[in-house]
Amino acid sequence: MTPIINTGNIDRKKRISQGVAFTIFKLMSYSVVAMLILILGFIVSKGIGAISWDFLTKAPEEGMTKGGIFPAIVGTLCLVAGSSLFSFPIGIMSGIYMNEYATGNKVATFIRIMTNNLSGVPSVVFGLFGMSLFVNTMKFGDSILAGSLTLGLLSLPLVIRTTEESLKAIDNSYREGSLALGATKLQTIQKVVLPMAFPNIITGLILSIGRVSGETAPILFTVAAYFLPKLPTSIFDQVMALPYHLYVISTSGTDIEASRGIAYGTALVLIVIVLIVNLLANFLRNYFSKKVKTN
Amino acid sequence: MTSDIRHKKMLTIDAKNVDFYYSEFHALKNINIEVEKNKVVALIGPSGCGKSTFLRLLNRMNDLIDGTRMTGSVLIEGKDIYAPNIHVDELRKEVGMVFQKPNPFPKSIFENVAYGLRVNGIKDKTFIEERVIESIKSAALWNEVKDKLNKSAFALSGGQQQRLCIARALAISPKVLLMDEPASALDPISTSKIEELIYELKKDYTIMIVTHNMQQASRVSDKTAYFYLGEMIEYDDTIKIFTNPTELSTQNYITGRFG
Amino acid sequence: MKRFFEKLVEGALLISGSITSITILLIVIFLFKEASGLFNSPVIEDGYVLAFNKDNPVKKLSSYQIKQIFDGAITNWDEVGGKEEPIEVVRLSDLTKYYTEAELGANFENIPAKASELTAKHPGIILFLPNSYIAKNFDGTLLKHETLRPGDFFGGKEWYPTASPSPQYGLLPLLLGTLWVSLGAILLSLPFGIAVAVYLAEISTMRVRNFLKPVIELLAGIPSVVYGFFGLVVIVPFLQKTFQLPVGETGLAGSIVLAIMALPTIITVAEDAMRNVPRAMKEASLALGATQWQTIYRVVIPYAKSGITSAAVLGIGRAIGETMAVLMVTGNAAVIPHTLLEPVRTIPATIAAELGEASAGGGHYQALFALGCILFIITMIISISVEFISSKKYSK
Repeated sequence: MTPIINTGNIDRKKRISQGVAFTIFKLMSYSVVAMLILILGFIVSKGIGAISWDFLTKAPEEGMTKGGIFPAIVGTLCLVAGSSLFSFPIGIMSGIYMNEYATGNKVATFIRIMTNNLSGVPSVVFGLFGMSLFVNTMKFGDSILAGSLTLGLLSLPLVIRTTEESLKAIDNSYREGSLALGATKLQTIQKVVLPMAFPNIITGLILSIGRVSGETAPILFTVAAYFLPKLPTSIFDQVMALPYHLYVISTSGTDIEASRGIAYGTALVLIVIVLIVNLLANFLRNYFSKKVKTN
Repeated sequence: MTSDIRHKKMLTIDAKNVDFYYSEFHALKNINIEVEKNKVVALIGPSGCGKSTFLRLLNRMNDLIDGTRMTGSVLIEGKDIYAPNIHVDELRKEVGMVFQKPNPFPKSIFENVAYGLRVNGIKDKTFIEERVIESIKSAALWNEVKDKLNKSAFALSGGQQQRLCIARALAISPKVLLMDEPASALDPISTSKIEELIYELKKDYTIMIVTHNMQQASRVSDKTAYFYLGEMIEYDDTIKIFTNPTELSTQNYITGRFG
Repeated sequence: MKRFFEKLVEGALLISGSITSITILLIVIFLFKEASGLFNSPVIEDGYVLAFNKDNPVKKLSSYQIKQIFDGAITNWDEVGGKEEPIEVVRLSDLTKYYTEAELGANFENIPAKASELTAKHPGIILFLPNSYIAKNFDGTLLKHETLRPGDFFGGKEWYPTASPSPQYGLLPLLLGTLWVSLGAILLSLPFGIAVAVYLAEISTMRVRNFLKPVIELLAGIPSVVYGFFGLVVIVPFLQKTFQLPVGETGLAGSIVLAIMALPTIITVAEDAMRNVPRAMKEASLALGATQWQTIYRVVIPYAKSGITSAAVLGIGRAIGETMAVLMVTGNAAVIPHTLLEPVRTIPATIAAELGEASAGGGHYQALFALGCILFIITMIISISVEFISSKKYSK
């Protein structure tokens, strides 16, 4: 066959269009980094001035234009703890069931589809649901219990998915090795599979804590208090929460301008929580993957 | 080309002192090989001996793998393909490749063959059509697909897909055709069709083929190179390699004592 | 004993596994239960009635017609299917125009009788009174048990739950507001998301990728209320200045904030799809002399088409359901939007903003739960279509 007529022109054009396209992609990718830096930088620079020991340990004062955010921090911690108590055991057990017991059958497919669907449900719908079921029907009232259960259900799909993925990553030969030695299925899971999957599961759990601590819509009608300087004494008490507090003082406080400083400070505390959670998760991931390699 | 005249014989492929590393692993050790025009060279050797790695050096496919390094030089028709002024996309037009498993694109049969023309900026419809038909005929596939050029390539059998991939490589009229175990995933009938095809293609192309199949190597090639643990143990006429190899290692391998 | 224990544990695991399905079921039951009363709730405020002259052929009015009559947008009965007759709107406070205070009685004890008399005398009257002022032998048609029709909700063009005498629960402005803002968001973030996904999956070196991935994870981790706050103090004033707007809280502000928030979802899903393109496919293209870029747009992107579509759909889903950020930056005007530079109000924002004020079991409360049902149905459709798209194998 005759060689195709080739002008250097075409090759140059190909390379120029590649250069242009790749440059655009690169710029767009780095502008995502710029976005993050802009958001973080803005909130850190504006919020750092508000942070002080008093800010973190005192209740709001003078119509929330002064004082601190201590009750909101405590409230968020209560909600994180409460929702984790509910979602971690159930989520992990559910993940184990899907990967170890119901592998590939219709039940697992059904549960997986339902879990995916649940993760797509908007957080405000969880709020409506939590209000209707926990607050009104079960008569928990606006309480830590109702809020924690709502948040727990919201974070359940995330916990299930990370557990399932972590278990899936473990090679079948380990299971077979254990079973071949006469161990039962449960013993195999307990002694071989779970310890190996543990680091990844922990990483997922930490990320779910990050998610829960920032959610606002689900707690609006189930637990969050507008202003409540008193700390909770039982799980049937209302609490303040950081994300709701930020929403309130930035949109409907008594004096929005006067409370801006507090708003920046609250946003910074929320961002710091997210940063810590992500750094911790990344650190654990790297730490454990290195450990596996050196072993 | 004036420089060509000075050479007694024009070498299509001329690899000199080639060493190749995957990060720390020394995959090819001082390979020297010369291939004349319109010859078929078979690369044989046990798995992991470096024969596929060497093949992929000739169209710089190994560039895609992170952390690889090469020293030495590879000349194709006298041009150093690792020279800094060489663009890989231009090189790959001259050096076609057929892979181990048939890998047609999820497009129609026609578009698969036309792909190489289109990415090289050819827009002339009649030219593309003629060239596609010509290539499919050269790949001995025409009678089987002439009525369904617009059907998906995935509808073809494995053997047909592999010949389609050959047609696709031929469409941009390369000078060299690299074949990486082209028949290993195919049934015996398809394999023999591919072998017949290689025999035909020899008239127009210089071919280098990696194979695990001794009979195939002896049937299709003019010269054979035996690789072992990253070294080229022996390179000679195929008849010599299969009847009277110099090295004991070569003999052991072709008689099936190991490998 | 040991076997029994194993069975017991398996049972416990199965129960945990079914929690998500049970939750979905419960969400459906409770949302629809709370919303179901909506079409049994009266079109007019609780404790009030509307009355017409008994010869007036009009016996029923829809919620929107009542509102238009009281707003003065409808002034003649023939516009609502009656005779040619001007409409005379009379509220409790208007009674003094027809009767002296003495006639109404010192303790307004004569109002029931006078109201009945007035209605009988004026053929074009529409009278709006508290229940307690209606006499037993009232001479006229009473619009008391008229309930909200599905058309008032699904086809309603106004959302005005505190309107008197007839609260407006029209879905359309909220639904259109939601779709409008989400569409704007996806138009902004899709090109970005796909570009970044291509860069991560096909172009960047391992080192750059290891830097960018945590950045994207962090972007996904920032709480929506922080995005809302950032939008409120940075994006809203910026838009107001740039476009010389009366208010910066607009649909566009919502779209920009949502676009940033949807970005991590789109990038992650699209990148996964492109990473799943078989290496052999890319090598085949490169071996034919295609450049990397030609390989990307001729082979990789078409091959990853269904994954990229899933990414877009999931991004839309994220945008539609997002509550706090949107609530804080869109201005929340419940009108059908015409441009992105006007304030709009979305379904989730409406629920979050108003549920606190709605009394449990009332029409407003039920309407908000009905909005929740709509939102739930939309997100279910999105989840199922993603399931469908990604289960479909590449054909052709």
